[in-house]
Amino acid sequence: MAKVHEITVWARGVLQDKEGRDVINIFAKAAQMEGKYAQAFDNYEDLPDRVLVTVRKYVRLSDEEITHKYVYTNDKPEVVVICEATIVKGIDVLRGMEPGGTLIINTNRSIDFMLKLLPNANLLATIATVDADAITGVRTVDFSGSEGGVDATGIGKGIAAPIVGAIAKVTGLIKKESLAKVVSDVSGMERGFNEVKIKHLKPAAAELVGAAAGSKHSK
Amino acid sequence: MSKEDKMAKRLPGYGTIDIPEDRVVPFGAVTPAPVGTQKLFQTSNWRVVRPVKDDEKCTRCLQCYLACPDACWTYKEETDSLEWVGDFCKGCQVCIQACSVDGALVAAPELDFEGGVVRLEKPF
Repeated sequence: MAKVHEITVWARGVLQDKEGRDVINIFAKAAQMEGKYAQAFDNYEDLPDRVLVTVRKYVRLSDEEITHKYVYTNDKPEVVVICEATIVKGIDVLRGMEPGGTLIINTNRSIDFMLKLLPNANLLATIATVDADAITGVRTVDFSGSEGGVDATGIGKGIAAPIVGAIAKVTGLIKKESLAKVVSDVSGMERGFNEVKIKHLKPAAAELVGAAAGSKHSK
Repeated sequence: MSKEDKMAKRLPGYGTIDIPEDRVVPFGAVTPAPVGTQKLFQTSNWRVVRPVKDDEKCTRCLQCYLACPDACWTYKEETDSLEWVGDFCKGCQVCIQACSVDGALVAAPELDFEGGVVRLEKPF
């Protein structure tokens, strides 16, 4: 069976819920246009529909048909995407990642600053930051006059556009051209692709990572 | 048995709730409020910004104490100061809106501070 690439997206509830969902939908749609197999899941498990609570979204890509379709959570994410940088401080975002993973953060702070906040940064082979808030800003939903939200922005007009551009550049899992067919804000996606800052790290050996995770991580 | 307890027994539904013996109290009893904070549901990782107070500008009007939905501001009489309980502050900024003095309470990005957020393995 071909390798299944797992991507997990973390966002803030309600405010960035749609942005996070756009990231996975754009990615899965573009992958299907390239002839790959893809699955995209919004979450059920911990979607509380409360402002600022962390929520997760999942994508899987593969060259062959993905056979596991009932478990939707990504237990071993290869790529983790953070839509709001403070999530790194409050959650163990790299949980389950195998050594050699990739982390992409939406922030205007430096990569070294973000690395200091990660106790298990030795899992990472690549870390990247993209300042999506400055490129497009959050354009999620309009809350005026309705209980839920009215969404007239289309897929990928807010921070989702530069973030998918950054993922395409960092991971190389998908072509920029196929993203451009799906995203509403193509220039934002191009800017994310061009302005992402990447740093390659040397991941530690698997047994060292396991020991460090056992000692440092307790609730 | 007091008169009130006898009256309560005549109420419809009396005794239908199964309460453990050690938690049964007389009708109309006054019980002490819980002291301290619970540790099972900490919400500090919802926070993007945190309120920072300026003790010199603060007039101790206690508007923040009244406004906070999670009782994250407590007033200490001994030191005449307000204390912030960071484990449960969600960064909703209601206290900053309620503050009557300009600049006494301001929002600061959470990433500017070391620690202060409880790191959880799962969202909750």
